[in-house]
Amino acid sequence: MNPFLAVRLVSTSIHRWMYGYLTVPDSKTLQPSPDLAESWTTSEDGLTWTFKIRAAKWSDGQPVTAEDAAWTFNKMMTDEAAKTANGPAVENFESVTASGQDLTIKLKAPQASMLENPVPIMPKHAWESVTDMANYDAEKYPTVSSGPYIAVEHKKDQYVKLQANPNYWRGKPKIDELQVIFYDNPQAAIAGLKKGDIDLLGRMTPQEFEAIQNDPNIEAWNTQGRRAAYLQINHGATTTDDKAVGDGHPALKDLKVRQALHYAIDKQKLVDEVQNGLAKPADGSIVPPMYKDFFWEATGEEKVSYDPAKANQLLDEAGYKKGADGVRTMPDGDRKLEFRFTIHTETPIEDKLAEYLTAFFKEVGITLTTVKLESSKFTEETGVTGNFDIAISGWSVNPDPEEVMATHLCSRRPAPGGEGGGTESFFCDDTFEKLYQDQLKELDRPKRIDLLKQMQERLYTQAPIIAIYYTNDLEGYRKDKVTSITPIPEDKGLLYGGSGYWPFYTVDVKAAAAASGGTGGGSNTGLIAGIVGAVVVVGAAAFFLTRRRKSTADERE
Amino acid sequence: MTTPLEAAEPAAVQAAGPGDERSAGRGTLRYALSKAGGALFSIAMVLVGTFFVFRLLPGDPVRNLAQGRNMTPAQLDLERRRLGLDKPLLDQFIDFVGDTLRLDLGTSYEYKRPVLDLIGERLGPTLLLAGTGLVIAVSLGIWQGTRAGWRHGTRFDRLSTGASLLLWSVPTFWLGLLLMMVFGVGIGPIPGIFPFRGIESVDAPDGFAYVLDVASHMVLPCLTLVAVVYAQYLLVMRSSLMEEVSQDYVTVARAKGLRDDEVRRRHAVPNALLPTVTLVFMRVGFVVGGAVTVETIYTWPGLGQLFYEAISVPDFTLMQGTFLLITVAVIVMNTLADVVYHLLDPRVRSA
Repeated sequence: MNPFLAVRLVSTSIHRWMYGYLTVPDSKTLQPSPDLAESWTTSEDGLTWTFKIRAAKWSDGQPVTAEDAAWTFNKMMTDEAAKTANGPAVENFESVTASGQDLTIKLKAPQASMLENPVPIMPKHAWESVTDMANYDAEKYPTVSSGPYIAVEHKKDQYVKLQANPNYWRGKPKIDELQVIFYDNPQAAIAGLKKGDIDLLGRMTPQEFEAIQNDPNIEAWNTQGRRAAYLQINHGATTTDDKAVGDGHPALKDLKVRQALHYAIDKQKLVDEVQNGLAKPADGSIVPPMYKDFFWEATGEEKVSYDPAKANQLLDEAGYKKGADGVRTMPDGDRKLEFRFTIHTETPIEDKLAEYLTAFFKEVGITLTTVKLESSKFTEETGVTGNFDIAISGWSVNPDPEEVMATHLCSRRPAPGGEGGGTESFFCDDTFEKLYQDQLKELDRPKRIDLLKQMQERLYTQAPIIAIYYTNDLEGYRKDKVTSITPIPEDKGLLYGGSGYWPFYTVDVKAAAAASGGTGGGSNTGLIAGIVGAVVVVGAAAFFLTRRRKSTADERE
Repeated sequence: MTTPLEAAEPAAVQAAGPGDERSAGRGTLRYALSKAGGALFSIAMVLVGTFFVFRLLPGDPVRNLAQGRNMTPAQLDLERRRLGLDKPLLDQFIDFVGDTLRLDLGTSYEYKRPVLDLIGERLGPTLLLAGTGLVIAVSLGIWQGTRAGWRHGTRFDRLSTGASLLLWSVPTFWLGLLLMMVFGVGIGPIPGIFPFRGIESVDAPDGFAYVLDVASHMVLPCLTLVAVVYAQYLLVMRSSLMEEVSQDYVTVARAKGLRDDEVRRRHAVPNALLPTVTLVFMRVGFVVGGAVTVETIYTWPGLGQLFYEAISVPDFTLMQGTFLLITVAVIVMNTLADVVYHLLDPRVRSA
């Protein structure tokens, strides 16, 4: 629960309810809006940012000052351990100083995403005595917070109890208490929701969601999600010094082959039969359509629709002839177009996806075999060693897509020694690089959005990855308990799975009398949210772990 | 599980002549010592095995810690140094053995806390759940096994043996979910009675009410555990009692005109209990390992859950620590089982 160390999705979500940040996504537009910083200015060259910190109070009554923010950032810049959670966020900071309520951040290079700073501002007076940050677990309750809630009790992997912060600058939240309860087992969490042990449950799989759909007491919440699922194609993995690594199939270096694969995929069928209809076929790239501003969709000539005939034609023209067995071979030799598809062990949904893709590719003379890897091995082979042909991937995208775009930069490839890394595609493309650098410098929002869309277009046409669908956000809450809750964005957005505290700040519940045969007999003035923890049943382990890895973007909203 | 030194033991055993109380006592001591020696050897092997096997697992621990985040080579190096992974393997091994002997199991990569503390926190809940489960399973198994074996072939025998075998073969996970649905959530008119998550309510009351709260949380996990494991006690008890029934001494006891249940209680059962005792001891070792599946179904904060999480990260130090604890417990309990058996059964001594 130490925000300097926390990388787990669960803890970072809860920190969003506990601490103020410089800015917060607006509940309607998702654009950065004032949080602890009530206003800000940028210098002409984009290198100096000045934030005016609002006259708010910590939950213990002390005033929030720019000094708190400066201390937080400086701590991260000087203490290696304090970098653990959000180190990259301050990488580009030259210096951070405070004067009264003014916080001045000087940058080494322009950074348009400055308003998406993912660092919770911590109270200097409560934290400066911590000397050994690496081993500090922050087990002091109640916490000194500036967000809507204060943590008052925490039992590792069991629950976190939060109370409304009476000093919160927007005003005290409507409910007095919020309990976040961890489940190791998704089935138990669903059973808990059905029984009324918990009031709200987020992030279900389509199969889990179907189990609550017909329950009269439960509002099944099905909206566009913030996640894109895509195929990574090993189009020639290299390290940052451009040396080839891995054993990817040479045919995948050919753009025509990648395009043919794209034409061969019936995305609608995948949505209907793999995701039980609870997703949207992807006609764009890695930014899902819920982000209306940033979403880019292919149109006209560029748009790739399911067309196996076209795929066959492309491959024929490029010289990949079909052999007697119906499998194509490389134009210059006898190597067949036989690709491996890397998925995670024990993830039924990926198994199903593999079956469908195998059938689609067979139509165009390509053989696909499935390789299952355990999660950490998967990460290594598809992100570092490049030992794969095609692999499944996905990312939960933040209101600002810069971070997810950055995972396709040249510099994100592994270093010559296998160090560093964090690539999603081993992509390294001059056009893409230039667009990325341009958007970093572009402080004019519409212009920057245009650049980010061009980057998506580049990913779409070059196809180092092929987006297949955008999964829906599947949640559920008790109709008989929750009287109102505002999603984020407010127009049919997300609840727990959303970015920011908005739904939990606005939620209101029926008063105590709600008799639901509860056993504990405690207070009923609050909301009890269930969370399926990071540790899970054997069957779903890999899926959740991947999600945790892939969701690291969550920690950077 | 037998210890590697077993081959060396008959000489020690033969030295103790039957009937001589003092030398029998000394024989047992010597026997116990040789067993303890064997156990120590096994533990040493486990120490070596633990260290090297876990290093063969795929994945770079530092990179896994980063969980896909972009870390600079400097950060990775620092992390590596902090974890002592920059030293030569042999040095790491020596450090590991030294620390372990001092009961320092290192710091968990994931939790950033001493492994021993984490284990300490989880040991209580595991002992509570698995221990209670074991006691119930053993008592139930022995009672049913005795009744079934004494009158084997009867309807009670067929029913209880059949039911226990059925439960034994059912997947634990499935059974756990079934019990959760029936007794936790409730089906149709049957309301759910028992909680099915965690060891206590979030708003747990104090005092005696707290004990009741924990007890109610234990019902379903305990039931699942017992249902799945009690068959083995039943079957062992049943078959060994059936063997005793055909022995001459039972016939003699009956011929003396003793009442049937007296023959059973005073003569047959004590002898038939011996194999069950071994089984119980062996089981106690595994109790420490917890019941991973049951703990996962019911989000029980025990060791099994901790070990499972350590593997999924993977968190080397935590894995090492929990694995060591579990194996050492199993070895110690096996050794104890051997010694106790030796004390209880003269046949082992004179064999």
